[in-house]
Amino acid sequence: MKNLSIRNLSKTYFDPYAGTNVTAVHDVSLDVQQGEFVSIVGPSGCGKTTILNMIAGFIPYTGGEILLDGRPVNGPGPDRGVVFQSFALFPWKTVLENVAFGPKMRGVHKAQREKIVHEYLSLAKLTEAAERYPVELSGGMQQRVGVVRALANEPDVLLMDEPFASVDAQTRMTLQEELTRIWEEKRPTVIFITHDVAEAVFLANRVVALSKGRVLEEIAVNLPRPRVWDDLNEDNQFKALTGRVLQLVRSA
Amino acid sequence: MRLTARWPSIASLAPFIPVIAAWWIVTELQIFPRAFLPGPMEVVRSFGSLVYTGILPEYLQDSMVRLAVGAFWGIALGIPLGILVGLSRRAQTALWPLLLFFQTIGDIAWLPILVIWFGYGLITMTTVIVYTVIFPVVLNTVLGVRSIPIVMHRAALSLGASRTRMLWEVVLPGALPNIVTGLRNGLGYGWRALIATEIIVGTSGIGFLMFDARRAGSVVEIMLGMIILGILWYIVDSWILAPIERATGQRWGLVTR
Ligand SMILES: Nc1ncnc2c1ncn2[C@@H]1O[C@H](COP(=O)(O)OP(=O)(O)OP(=O)(O)O)[C@@H](O)[C@H]1O
Ligand SMILES: [Mg+2]
Repeated sequence: MKNLSIRNLSKTYFDPYAGTNVTAVHDVSLDVQQGEFVSIVGPSGCGKTTILNMIAGFIPYTGGEILLDGRPVNGPGPDRGVVFQSFALFPWKTVLENVAFGPKMRGVHKAQREKIVHEYLSLAKLTEAAERYPVELSGGMQQRVGVVRALANEPDVLLMDEPFASVDAQTRMTLQEELTRIWEEKRPTVIFITHDVAEAVFLANRVVALSKGRVLEEIAVNLPRPRVWDDLNEDNQFKALTGRVLQLVRSA
Repeated sequence: MRLTARWPSIASLAPFIPVIAAWWIVTELQIFPRAFLPGPMEVVRSFGSLVYTGILPEYLQDSMVRLAVGAFWGIALGIPLGILVGLSRRAQTALWPLLLFFQTIGDIAWLPILVIWFGYGLITMTTVIVYTVIFPVVLNTVLGVRSIPIVMHRAALSLGASRTRMLWEVVLPGALPNIVTGLRNGLGYGWRALIATEIIVGTSGIGFLMFDARRAGSVVEIMLGMIILGILWYIVDSWILAPIERATGQRWGLVTR
């Protein structure tokens, strides 16, 4: 079992211009089981990106610990895949080369690599675009590449920071449905960060409500899968859950 | 990466037509004495005879070899140095003041001492060209390395790239558009420095041809030399640099067309 365990995590930034300390994350604890899909939801500035960057190993933490499979996290590594809000695709690599990057860096053999890459490209309906450069793709397609690039590396945990925030509403719904479909097929462990309550509930097994750097409450989401917006939009259980999370996040 | 060379199109040659026409008219009207300002046809004729005697091909080759050798070393030293300074704060602290100091001395200012050390040969000329090429290459490479967004580094590290692989997979391609700009500037300066060096210390080459023609009072050959300089630079730019730019930064959407 590859569990992610976050214990009393905190982060204090020092602002060298103002000469003050800003505590962005207070004493956050969270356990994520293998194969779980956890959404962290909260308003802008509540510390979501800070938490994710610490898990990814991009920034050091000032208190507590993060354990992956019992071992403390120290710097970025291929065991934690990241999908960025700004996509962060390599502009000088084609779609295929972007997706092949992780396996290539880990020394996966060429034949095996091609098999993995083609599987993931077709999973995300990107086979047609394999030879294109990121600049030639729409935002929605770019983020599909971002998602499968991280997945093709088969990380223990997939970290996603508002990955669909910069695409239009219709595309976002399509991407959300595709992500649930891919998740059902591959069952990766996912931590998904968003400020969109409906998105958080739609995708997750469990929603963590965050406010001002603290965990308010964890809410289990037992909606049946596969999930599609046409069914859930009018679903009473879905409405009740989103209402509850919204209330939590707004009241804090 | 596919490089496509483009022949000079009619559109890019068109601007020269009025210039040549004006030149031709001025010489036909005999406003200046012919010996001071020869016409286009005389320059073409002089080109023909210098090619026939083999002087021009030989000088041209000498100049091109000097530029190529100088450019090679300028690039081979400049890009790694630029990457080092761009990535490492310690290297920057140690090297930046030196770079600025030596940059200000200027290329031709080295000639007197180089001639004493190395004489009138290839080493002297190559050193001057390397010296001119290297600074724009280093400074633009540093800029290119620094302009790579931090998410690129993060994405690569999260996908399992080692520090060495990062160099090839992220740093070099990410900095490439700026490196090409550096090359373009560097080769342009290097070209001019080469001609100046040939004029001052040369025994062959296009710069020497022009200097020698001045001694003989042949304005035709001086003008021929000037025109050859322009054409050669046009060729280097449109057959080597522009295709690289099209195949990299422009293709990737990192620079606007
Ligand atoms: N590098 C930094 N230096 C100082 N303070 C920072 C830094 N990064 C973030 N902060 C502060 O930490 C707090 C949390 O920021 P964070 O980016 O984690 O929020 P967020 O929940 O991701 O917000 P958003 O939804 O807008 O992305 C904010 O008050 C922010 O100003
Ligand atoms: Mg954020």
